[in-house]
Amino acid sequence: MLEIKNLHARLNDGREILKGIDLSVGDGEVHAIMGPNGSGKSTLASVLAGRDGYEITEGSVTYRGRDLLAMPADERAREGVFLAFQYPVEIPGVNNTYFLRAAVNAGRRHRGESELDAGQFLRVVRAKLKLLDIGDDLLQRAVNVGFSGGEKKRNEIFQMAMLEPRLAILDETDSGLDIDALRVVAKGVNGLRAPDRSIVMITHYQRLLDYVEPDHVHVLQEGRIVQSGDKTLAAELEKSGYGTFGDPAGAAA
Amino acid sequence: MSAVVEFPAKPEARDYLACFARDITEPGWLAARRQQSMTRFAELGFPSRRSENWRYLDLQPLQQHPLLPARATATATDEATLRRRLSAVSLPDGNSRLVLVDGRFSPALSNLKLPKGVWFGSMAQAMRDRADLVQAAIEDNAADSAHPFTALNTAFFADGYVLDIAVELALDRIIEIIHLGSGATAGSFHTRSLISLGNGARARIVETYIGEGRYWRNDVVAVQLGTGAELSRAVLVEEGIEAVHLAQVDATLGTNSSFDGFALLLSGRRARQEANVRIVGEGARCRLDGAFLVAGNDEANIVTAVDHAAVGGRTRELIKGVAAGRGHGAFQGRIVVREHAQKTDAQQTSRNLIIGRRAVIDTKPELEIYADDVKCAHGATVGDLDEAALFYLRARGIPDDEARQMLIEGFLREAVEEIDDAAAREYLLRRLAARLARPEE
Repeated sequence: MLEIKNLHARLNDGREILKGIDLSVGDGEVHAIMGPNGSGKSTLASVLAGRDGYEITEGSVTYRGRDLLAMPADERAREGVFLAFQYPVEIPGVNNTYFLRAAVNAGRRHRGESELDAGQFLRVVRAKLKLLDIGDDLLQRAVNVGFSGGEKKRNEIFQMAMLEPRLAILDETDSGLDIDALRVVAKGVNGLRAPDRSIVMITHYQRLLDYVEPDHVHVLQEGRIVQSGDKTLAAELEKSGYGTFGDPAGAAA
Repeated sequence: MSAVVEFPAKPEARDYLACFARDITEPGWLAARRQQSMTRFAELGFPSRRSENWRYLDLQPLQQHPLLPARATATATDEATLRRRLSAVSLPDGNSRLVLVDGRFSPALSNLKLPKGVWFGSMAQAMRDRADLVQAAIEDNAADSAHPFTALNTAFFADGYVLDIAVELALDRIIEIIHLGSGATAGSFHTRSLISLGNGARARIVETYIGEGRYWRNDVVAVQLGTGAELSRAVLVEEGIEAVHLAQVDATLGTNSSFDGFALLLSGRRARQEANVRIVGEGARCRLDGAFLVAGNDEANIVTAVDHAAVGGRTRELIKGVAAGRGHGAFQGRIVVREHAQKTDAQQTSRNLIIGRRAVIDTKPELEIYADDVKCAHGATVGDLDEAALFYLRARGIPDDEARQMLIEGFLREAVEEIDDAAAREYLLRRLAARLARPEE
């Protein structure tokens, strides 16, 4: 599904953030990438999604056999890459349903499928809402405007359900959630696990991993993956902190 | 009969002067008033670019290529074609509708049924049936002396509409007014209208300006609100791509009355919506909201002036503008609070988006406060599309162009969504979406 090789990336101001990432994600696998603040977790998510402001200096990312980095952000999304934002953006004046229908239809056009009209779209929405066990109260509002932290994250997972990505990258989806909201979001993610869908969860804490069990856990530090293992690695981290893996400053952050 | 020039007339006024003629069927007071206004226009000529009130609109082309008042001729465009054009800009049926084609009332396209206590019809008709009301309003308009195009309007207006609602009568139906330029003749359409609401009366108006071809619309509307009267008026400007649209509403607000004005400017080569509100009764409320979208080489201006001349008045203004291509948009908003107009509460906000490097936005708020116990605030912003929002949309697969359109529409929708009346709001939102779906010229 995803093959990252020796990926180096720096900010436009020249600071190098990713210093040689190697990661291989197979079909249907769930990977967790953990690490302290400033280790490069969110940069990795941004680079994969195609956000501006980063320069790739070395390495490659292959997604389903194609050069991911050569595609513009919107094409990546239409090809099945989904980023759940750490900070979902508020877009006043743009209705959530209208936005989502445009997104779903952009993907359908890309795949040569017919677009969904308002009625067809609504039927799909209702089915997905039921599946995720979330209400439809968010649909008629402007995208993320006035949403609570929990509502924003729930909306991200709802979008993921609607867009049915091949590769979902969840960037700190657990941050800022109370335990009830976390359960709802985790339930949503678990419901979306599938043999042809891979998920990369980026998180600071082990908490989310109690609810969404990963197949692989990686520790990211100073722009490199310093250790990989199974889910027991996450538990170990919880006990010992990131300090075990090197930079004590990082552990304190 | 051409008027004899006995005063220094500005060169650009001469062609208009030459076609000015007395209509012998009109009453003496009107003839006198028209003559006086014609003289005034000849003296004033077109506003210069140095004129503060007109500095953001390029009137040179109009000055160089006069568009003389259109004569009353049978329109060359057939009724079926006109009906087709109207259908796009009509609200759902059942409303009272008045249609003016090339500045003149069209009985065939209108539907004036209204309850007792309401007088609604063409200005031409009103001058016969409601002479006293019309005379008072036209003679009362002091704007003539300073405003050249108002003077020109007084000299030449052929028609318009009058809506007069009796005391305590609330209209539940929306009143729909459509100004249609047929494209049959190049010329100017001077329309003069009057909205008069008695004490406690209520009305909602949706007024649309559309057209084809090369024309100049010069529209003046007077609004008089009695004690506790409430008027909402939503204006949609979708003029033809070569059209010049200059429209002005002059409102006088009585005690505890409420005027809710909205202007959405979507097309026209040069479009200007001006609102002048005088708050003369205590506790009157005024809302002047609006939005404009300019692209191509177009220009759009929203100009407001609110004069708080009574205690406890309240003004709210939210104007949002988008300029793309080589478009030039401007907002000029003036609020005056007179010395005795204590407890005035006025807020003005102008928010603008510039798309691309060649578009221009001007925004000029002006507060003049002579009272000491007031709350007044204004704010203005001009910015680019929000990059974070753009990335968010693209990260969901929406192509770049479409994402930009969505953000522009969202930005303008926010202003339109402030309209209280659902039918008017939905109508303007629908037209806004249709405008953005149209490929750029």
